[in-house]
Amino acid sequence: MACFSGKEEIESITERVSEMKNDKENVDRLLEHNVADQLEYFDWNGLNAAISGRIDKAQPRKTYAKKYPIAFKIAAGLTVAAAVILITMMSITERPANVGIANIKGAVVSFIDKKGLTSIEIKQGGINSQTTVDVGNNRHSLAKCTVEIINLNGSQKGDCSAWIIISRPEPMLADNRTSSYENDLIYLF
Amino acid sequence: MGEEAFVNDSQKSDTGNVERLVEASRSGDRRAFDELVRLYQQQAMYAASRILGNVSEAAEATQQGFLKAYLKIDKLKEPKRFGTWLLRIVCNAAISQRRAMKDKGSIAITDCYEDKKNSSPIEREISEELKQVIQKAMLKLSKKETKAISLFGLEDLSQSEAAEIMGCSVEAVRWHVFQARKKLKVLLKEYLK
Repeated sequence: MACFSGKEEIESITERVSEMKNDKENVDRLLEHNVADQLEYFDWNGLNAAISGRIDKAQPRKTYAKKYPIAFKIAAGLTVAAAVILITMMSITERPANVGIANIKGAVVSFIDKKGLTSIEIKQGGINSQTTVDVGNNRHSLAKCTVEIINLNGSQKGDCSAWIIISRPEPMLADNRTSSYENDLIYLF
Repeated sequence: MGEEAFVNDSQKSDTGNVERLVEASRSGDRRAFDELVRLYQQQAMYAASRILGNVSEAAEATQQGFLKAYLKIDKLKEPKRFGTWLLRIVCNAAISQRRAMKDKGSIAITDCYEDKKNSSPIEREISEELKQVIQKAMLKLSKKETKAISLFGLEDLSQSEAAEIMGCSVEAVRWHVFQARKKLKVLLKEYLK
C-alpha cells in the first residue's frame, strides 16, 4: 500500500487534476442526464416569452439623449442659446418713458416732466460706475423705476427739489417703524 | 424541443454577429437583444439547471440573468464576450437562488415541462426521485464547486471560458471540479452503481 506524505499527496492530486481535461466521469454523466431529462420537453418559446415579458416590465427609460445623442446635444445647445438671447433682449428692450435724471448718489430728480406716473432712470456716470435706485428695501439694479410726481415746484428744469412718491401697492414696514414712503424718500434724497 | 431552441453554433461563434447585436441592443434595438436571447438561452438554461438541479428554479434564474444583462448591457466592455459575461450573470443568479433554496430548507417539486408520454409511471417516479437527490447533493457543494462542475459539463464551453466566468485560473476550476466530484461520488453513490 502506498503511503503519501503531505507534499506527495498534493502533487499526486495536482497531477490527476491537470490530467482531467475533458474526461467525464460517471458523476458528470449523471448530472448531465438529470438536466437533459428535465429539459427534454422544456418550453423554450415559453422561456423566451417570459424573458421578453420581464424586460418589457422593467424597460429602462431609454431617453432620447441616449438614442439620439448628437441631435439631442444640438437641440439642447440651441435651446440654451435661444434662452440667453431672449433674456438679453428682454433686459435691454425696456426704455424709460421719460428721460432725464442727473447722476448723483442717491437718486435725484433733476428733471420733472409732469404730474402723474413716469419712469425715471439714473444714467451711469461712467463706464465703470454702477448706479442703482433704492426704492424702500428693494434695489432695482437697472436704476429705473416708476414714480409718481405729485408736485411741481417752480422752474423744474435744473431744480433738484421735488417730492416724489414711489408707487407701491402697500407699505412695506410695520407701523412703529418708518414707513416705506419715508424710506423711499430718504433713499431718493 | 422546438428547433428554434437549437441555435446553429456558427451563429454564436461568429463574434462579429454577436458584437453587432450587442451594439444594436445598446442603441435601443430590442429585436437585437431578443436575438441574443435566442442565441444564448439554451446554454444559460443548461448552466442554471446544472447548478440548481431543477429546471423550474433554473428558468427563474435564467430570466433574472437575461433581464440583468439587458439592463446592464452598456457596462459590457467587450461586446464579443457577451456569452461568457451573460453566463457569469446567470450563474450568479442561480447561486443566489440556491441560497434561497437552502434557507427555505425544502425543495419544491414542480413540473415545468410536459409529462413524458412515453415513460412509465415508475420511470417518472425514479426520475423525480433522482432530481430531488441531485438537487440536495448540489446544495452541499460550495459555491465555487457548484459553478465549476456545472460549467465544466457544458458542451460548448471551453475550460478557459469557464475560468473566465468564475474569475479564476483554469487550474483552480479543475481543482474545484475535482473537489465537487469527490463529494458527489459519496452523496450519489446509490445512483452511480
